[in-house]
Amino acid sequence: MKKAYIGIDIGSISTKGVIIDGERNIIASAYLWTEGDPVGAVRRLLSELKNQFDADEYTVVASGTTGSARRLIGAMIGATIVKNEITAHAVGTTSIHPDVRTILEIGGQDSKIILVENGIAVDYAMNTLCAAGTGAFLSSQAHRLGVEVEEFGEIAKKSKHPTPIAARCTVFAESDLVHKIQMGHSREDIIAGLCRAVASNYLNNVAKGKKIVSPVVFQGGVSKNSGVVRAFSEYLGVPVRVDENGHLMGAFGAAILSMESKRETPFSFDVADMDFVTREVNCGKCSNNCEIICVSRNGTLIDSWGNRCERGDIRSRVNK
Amino acid sequence: MAKKNKNQTVGKRRLAFPAFSNYGTALKYFVEQGVGAEYVMPPEPTKKTMQYGEMNSPDFVCTPFKHTLGSMIEALELGADTLIELGGPCRLGFYGELQRQILTDMGYEFTMIDFDSLKDVKKSVWIDVMKSVNPSMKMSTMLVEATNTFRMIRYLDEIEALYHANMGFEVTRGAYDKIYREFLLDMNTASSGTDIKNAYKKAKTAMDDEPINKPALPLRVGIVGEYFTVMDKYSNLDLENKLCRMGVEVHRFMNVTNYNFGSSEPKLFVTAKQYMRFSMGPTSATNVKTAENYAKLGYDGIIHVKSFGCTPEVDIMPILSRISSEYHIPILYLSYDTQTSDTGLDTRLEAFYDMISLKKKVLKG
Repeated sequence: MKKAYIGIDIGSISTKGVIIDGERNIIASAYLWTEGDPVGAVRRLLSELKNQFDADEYTVVASGTTGSARRLIGAMIGATIVKNEITAHAVGTTSIHPDVRTILEIGGQDSKIILVENGIAVDYAMNTLCAAGTGAFLSSQAHRLGVEVEEFGEIAKKSKHPTPIAARCTVFAESDLVHKIQMGHSREDIIAGLCRAVASNYLNNVAKGKKIVSPVVFQGGVSKNSGVVRAFSEYLGVPVRVDENGHLMGAFGAAILSMESKRETPFSFDVADMDFVTREVNCGKCSNNCEIICVSRNGTLIDSWGNRCERGDIRSRVNK
Repeated sequence: MAKKNKNQTVGKRRLAFPAFSNYGTALKYFVEQGVGAEYVMPPEPTKKTMQYGEMNSPDFVCTPFKHTLGSMIEALELGADTLIELGGPCRLGFYGELQRQILTDMGYEFTMIDFDSLKDVKKSVWIDVMKSVNPSMKMSTMLVEATNTFRMIRYLDEIEALYHANMGFEVTRGAYDKIYREFLLDMNTASSGTDIKNAYKKAKTAMDDEPINKPALPLRVGIVGEYFTVMDKYSNLDLENKLCRMGVEVHRFMNVTNYNFGSSEPKLFVTAKQYMRFSMGPTSATNVKTAENYAKLGYDGIIHVKSFGCTPEVDIMPILSRISSEYHIPILYLSYDTQTSDTGLDTRLEAFYDMISLKKKVLKG
């Protein structure tokens, strides 16, 4: 029986999962929409992975979670390791592109840049208070223009004169966009302009002051948009690599991290069938009123978080 | 005739200063022991403090304004009748007057002592202000206690720095916390210079004796940033403790001892000519030079803290990026607003920690 490792990346928009073998080869992968229900998405993800997975040849010995719902899903599947998405992405990408120097990542709600030297991350930045130019923004604009966001790349390609769109901030970009539409700019030009706006906004905000060195790898959901990819390579003047598995890098990194942790924890695909309930409890022991999230599996409390001090500790009866 | 009780409070003025790090303790000491008035300690800031502040502040004012206003409201509710606003080096200086007007409009009755308006006046005016609080204040006592107050602030800063440098490596979990909490309590209840010295000695000895398990080359992170947010743990969501608990030696130059008593800004400005030709703001030279110093000392990372929209701090960010690339040191930029959820901060800190610890491991190995 060979060992396998599972990594799950639960983002705001999409949920990704991979299973790798001991040589870091992806033996199963799945990608689906989170649809505002991380627990449900992981249930569907696990059943999809289970179908691709050869249970007679491999056994999953460790698991890792990342993404914004990492803690919740980590508790749910009993993950070996729960890691932030920045580290997971850096680890995942550097093992596929060992020579990478700059990782550009634009996801559904956030965007980040990771600078790499000799295979290790040396600096990073993440958008702070503003979600400008992320996948969610592109989706809402696609809706406004009446096209699917997946078609953006193809439509943008047809444009000869991309419309300049103010890229400073989502709100400004949107009003500028509406204005340009009403002025009579063609849809191709608008969409091409939008793709350029996302790239220039990213370079002026998240990547501000960072030295972008080639090779550059671009990933995250927005990297599937060839219009933005083209805009990036034009602005940077260097080729931008996009991996066909680029959207899986977080999950891949989480799987590698669980492998490197050298610890093994039991994992079962059956957790998908178990009953998970999350409940919000208000601590009320001081005026902070911490909102504590309690997760229970089949009626037993397995984890809780959200308290700021020990007064709000709700201890699990299983693990601790 | 019965001897006058030094601590009698009936009929005394009740002073308060908004919660700011642990400095309320020192002010309390000076007001009670030096001036001879009562001090109302505002409660530890919570979400409610922020809500009070936010509800009654102009929208675009910086976060420290909202914090201090919220805390003032809480102090007034506890019966304070005189508020102190220490003023500050940037637009903080205008806050006292604006807060006085807002609170008056809200219907509170109180007197505001705004230190900013007393900046360039003769010393006698200061004494008049103190006499207005307590007409029977004794000058000799006040002067002695003023010295003790300054000493207390130095001790508070020194012990805090020691706590942040070593807490992450304690052998017994919670041991440093316990010493530190006791120290703050001792300072809070101190009523003489001897009490202050003893509290300091007790904490210093306890911290020195407490076993720590620190590697020869620990991860070291230097924190720079905007005056209020960088020092006040409620404003920065307990940034330093979060880092300490990950096993990091945390340093922060910015405190009252170094910045105010040490006049770091004019002193460091003359050495910062390489980066700036004119003053860029109240703490710019201090932060730039401190960051450069951390970089020169081979720290593993720097964290820059500011409240959202703080112009002086936004202005020094390009200089910090230059230091980052010249000295090859990562800098994490954090912007704080009135958010109360730590999730975003935790993600960024965790990633920063992973990055610098892996880098250190590879460089050492």
